[in-house]
Amino acid sequence: MMRDLSPLLRLFWQERRRALLGGAALMAATLLAGVALLGLSGWFITATAAAAMAGAAATFDIFAPGAGIRLLALVRTGARYGERLVTHDATLRMLARLRERLFRGYATPNAAGALRLRPARLLFRLTAEVDALDSLYLRVLAPIGAALAVALLLSLGLWLAHPSLAWPVMLLLVPAGGLLPWWVARAALRPNRRRALALEALRARAVDLAQGQTEWVMAGRAAAQADAVLAADTRLAQAEDALNRLDARSGALLFMAGQAALVVTLLVSATLVEQRAISAPIAALALLAALAGLEAFTPLRRGALELGRAWLAARRLGPRLRAPDATPPRATAPQGVALRMAGVSLHYPGAGAPVLNGLDLQIAEGECVALVGESGAGKSSILALIAGEAEPAEGSIALPDGRPRTVWMSQHPALFQDSLRDNLLLAAPEAEDAALLAALDAAGFTPVLAAMPEGLDTRLGEGGFGLSSGQTRRLALARALLRPAPLWLLDEPTEGLDRATAQDLLRSLHPRLSGHATLIVTHLRREAVLADRVVLLRDGRVQAEARQGDPTHAGLLDILRPD
Amino acid sequence: MSAAALKLETRFPREMARIRQAGLLQAASGLVWIGQAALLAGTVHGMATGAPGSDAVLPAIGILVLALLRAGLDAAANRRGFLAARAIVSQLRRAAVDNLPRFSPFDRARPASGQVASVLAEQADALLPWLTRWHPARLRMAIVPTVILLVVLAQSWVAALALLIAAPLIPIFMALIGLRARDASDRQMAELGGMNGFLLDRLRGLDTLRAFGAVDATARQLRASAERLRRQTMAVLRIAFLSSAVLELFAALGVAMVATFIGLHLLGQLPFGAWGSNLTLASGLFMLLLAPEFFQPLRDFAAAYHDRAAGEAALAGLARLLEPPAAPILLGEAAPDAAASPIPMRLALAGIGFRYPGEARDVVAGFSLDVAPGEHVALLGPSGAGKSTLLALVAGLLVPHEGAVRLDGIPLDESSAAAARARMAWLGARPHLFAGSFHANLLLGRRFGQAELLAALDLASAGDVVARRPGGLKGGIGEGGLGLSGGEARRIALARAALNDAAGLILADEPTAHLDRQSAAAVAEGLLRLAKGRTLLVTTHDPALAARMDRVVRL
Repeated sequence: MMRDLSPLLRLFWQERRRALLGGAALMAATLLAGVALLGLSGWFITATAAAAMAGAAATFDIFAPGAGIRLLALVRTGARYGERLVTHDATLRMLARLRERLFRGYATPNAAGALRLRPARLLFRLTAEVDALDSLYLRVLAPIGAALAVALLLSLGLWLAHPSLAWPVMLLLVPAGGLLPWWVARAALRPNRRRALALEALRARAVDLAQGQTEWVMAGRAAAQADAVLAADTRLAQAEDALNRLDARSGALLFMAGQAALVVTLLVSATLVEQRAISAPIAALALLAALAGLEAFTPLRRGALELGRAWLAARRLGPRLRAPDATPPRATAPQGVALRMAGVSLHYPGAGAPVLNGLDLQIAEGECVALVGESGAGKSSILALIAGEAEPAEGSIALPDGRPRTVWMSQHPALFQDSLRDNLLLAAPEAEDAALLAALDAAGFTPVLAAMPEGLDTRLGEGGFGLSSGQTRRLALARALLRPAPLWLLDEPTEGLDRATAQDLLRSLHPRLSGHATLIVTHLRREAVLADRVVLLRDGRVQAEARQGDPTHAGLLDILRPD
Repeated sequence: MSAAALKLETRFPREMARIRQAGLLQAASGLVWIGQAALLAGTVHGMATGAPGSDAVLPAIGILVLALLRAGLDAAANRRGFLAARAIVSQLRRAAVDNLPRFSPFDRARPASGQVASVLAEQADALLPWLTRWHPARLRMAIVPTVILLVVLAQSWVAALALLIAAPLIPIFMALIGLRARDASDRQMAELGGMNGFLLDRLRGLDTLRAFGAVDATARQLRASAERLRRQTMAVLRIAFLSSAVLELFAALGVAMVATFIGLHLLGQLPFGAWGSNLTLASGLFMLLLAPEFFQPLRDFAAAYHDRAAGEAALAGLARLLEPPAAPILLGEAAPDAAASPIPMRLALAGIGFRYPGEARDVVAGFSLDVAPGEHVALLGPSGAGKSTLLALVAGLLVPHEGAVRLDGIPLDESSAAAARARMAWLGARPHLFAGSFHANLLLGRRFGQAELLAALDLASAGDVVARRPGGLKGGIGEGGLGLSGGEARRIALARAALNDAAGLILADEPTAHLDRQSAAAVAEGLLRLAKGRTLLVTTHDPALAARMDRVVRL
């Protein structure tokens, strides 16, 4: 368990050790004030009764204990308030740090591979796991630390009253509080994992049930798919049942350990009082203090289950929590060349044929190349290789400065839930508003902007929600215009747009293609005609190519979809 | 059914009774403490009055036995409450899953799939803490403090008064400073949830961020906005936590007042409050031991406060999934008969009228069409002319308001839909492919052999789509067909439709839309091969495809 949790603990420790320890200390202080309050109250009552019996009621000092009791009530209140503030502040700081680290972890090449095929599942899983890690300190680490501190200090106090009084708490409570969370977390690992998987399955099958309803109904399988959703619920129920059993069992164990400590303390103090080793008021103090000390152990029950969740999450996210590796550099392209791919092969494990097979492709500075070919001919793989998202099995890729400094425009340009300005600043963090407005104007976005009352401060929805697909593409073009990059990668930039919108966008794009090299991946004629050269890809290599003006150029364009 | 109408008490009377029983068991466990406290107080009284140490043994055994009883009651309450709550969750999920297929996939008002998933999965699970923690805690709060107060009152009215003053002050003060701040803190917590949204949003566009070299800047931005949120949240929490401090203060002061009164009473300085007689040490300690337990249910209830909001939100979400559909579908489905050979179907539409719920005009009105067995017909028309709606009406995926659909002379209705669909094959404009193997995507759980699969792939010209992928048929497709191009997805869907060899009617909705020329040709070729000897109804924009049909109907 420690091996899985250690990257996380190290992250926490480096970040805020003082706040973390301070929060746990305040938690312990709250509990100790409660222990002292009840212990002192028990002592006070018993001592006053003893004084009355001894006829010494008149000389009994009521002022000091009374003040002590009131003071402890206030201390407990203050400590509780402080503890809440400090622990929550520390948790929120961790939350910020954790998200930054996770993002950096995922930003390395290939790390987000699973993200590309199953984004919904991965993102759902990530949310659940990050939530589990968020509560690690507040619900697990701080309460365990506080409980053990209280048990130790309580034992020390009892030991000072009489050494024999310390043993019940030391031998029963401390091991129970220390070992139980560890044991529960271990035992909960399997059901926790099964619960997470069943919940993911339930979710995915529910999405499939709703999205693929036509297919299920027409294939006569809608009822079967509904049953599949419910089967996931049954598995989920089994896992949750196992966790609940564990919770009930560990709760009973923890409770009985506390009660046993209380009863043994009672027997020990009765013996000590009989031997006149301690007085009856001290016995009452010991008993009530031990009783109040049990309060520290109640949160451990929930904490133990949370620890199980956090452990599973840390295990899954572990690789993303370590410091990211650097991207392997590309070779440096010679002067005048924007991209050179030589003998590049790419082979997915288990696939029959390689995706790319000895591909040679060179683009000169300022040249515009259209890459065409059937779906599955390897066009997107080439883009992934250039962007550093994949590594070739053979061959070399050379770029200016050896860095993938590119502009990327696709049919699904990623826009973020942020202001229009911040979406543009991604490409040019230092740009002034005037430069942004100029780029928007060049991309033909000005009429859209004019309809936005908040202008550049307008917030975009998820994935650019609120903009039409044509507007989205324009915004992506404006962002591209802001970035000085030697190579532009355009992945079907007008796919899915109606003809008029597409022509309009291409009219804005065309004059901007000079001054840098461009690679357009396309199956649309209207995009390919912009290029100086058309390259036909088939079976993972270049099968034919033609420059504008070559006799074969028109033939290559003819295989593309007209419109 | 509106959100407010989904009442758990009326829908699940047995389970809710069990949850109440769980609360009662928990309350009983809390009340057993009264017996333990009496034994404990009596033993200390004995110590103070010089009783021998062996006198403590019997009470100690008694306390231990009562502790076992409490552990048993708590465990029983925990299990009983959980099982009842989990049964409610399962039944609500079942009801929602049963109701979902009643919505037509062509109904634009039906619940979105993302919402369905989130309500069915994580939100429904949020009912559990609400049902197992909040409900029993509320019952316990009503019972335990009342009984303890009465027990204390029997000993001393002053001590009871001290508790009584402290207890009602808690809700009052919490209401004064707490509730408004709590709402604010709930909102703030929701914004913290938004932090996850921020992270996920940026991860989704990671390719773009990497391409722009904006990873580092985004990471710093992520952190800065989390920090900003932390400062705002702490400003709210500083006030919100006052309410937990107030709870603590009054609980502690309640104990302190009881202790002080009893001590002074025992010293003879406050000789009243015990119904005319004098309190003993035993009864004084007894009351002191009861005081913290008097406040405990209040604290437990406060701790379960957040469970309620999440539970009620989940219930409202589920209630929306349980509403009856505005545009229903014809239910009924049967597995295709693999042995049957195709018999081309006769299709007759007579005076069909249809209007989507909430829309002002009919999308289809007085439409009639006869298609002879084996005839291939194209429906041609601009977007919005109702082509896809007509296809859905033929498949029973929508129900016409006027007119009738007849298949081989049999009117399409609830009783005939299953048999009719077993003899249809459907190729949609946006076929749904789920995350899983090609194999599973093709079969959809139907029973077909390897040879039939390969034949279907071959017919749809989809063999190379599978062969090129890692793992072949066992290889994976991403969510919603991610990793496949539009043409590839369409060919896999065609192979899926081709598996139903018994189909006498093929319905194809825009089969070549948004495809490159080669892919479009491959899909059209496969579709025509499949339609040989079968009736075909196809909607299209594509003049090349329409030209290959026997007849073109313009809408």
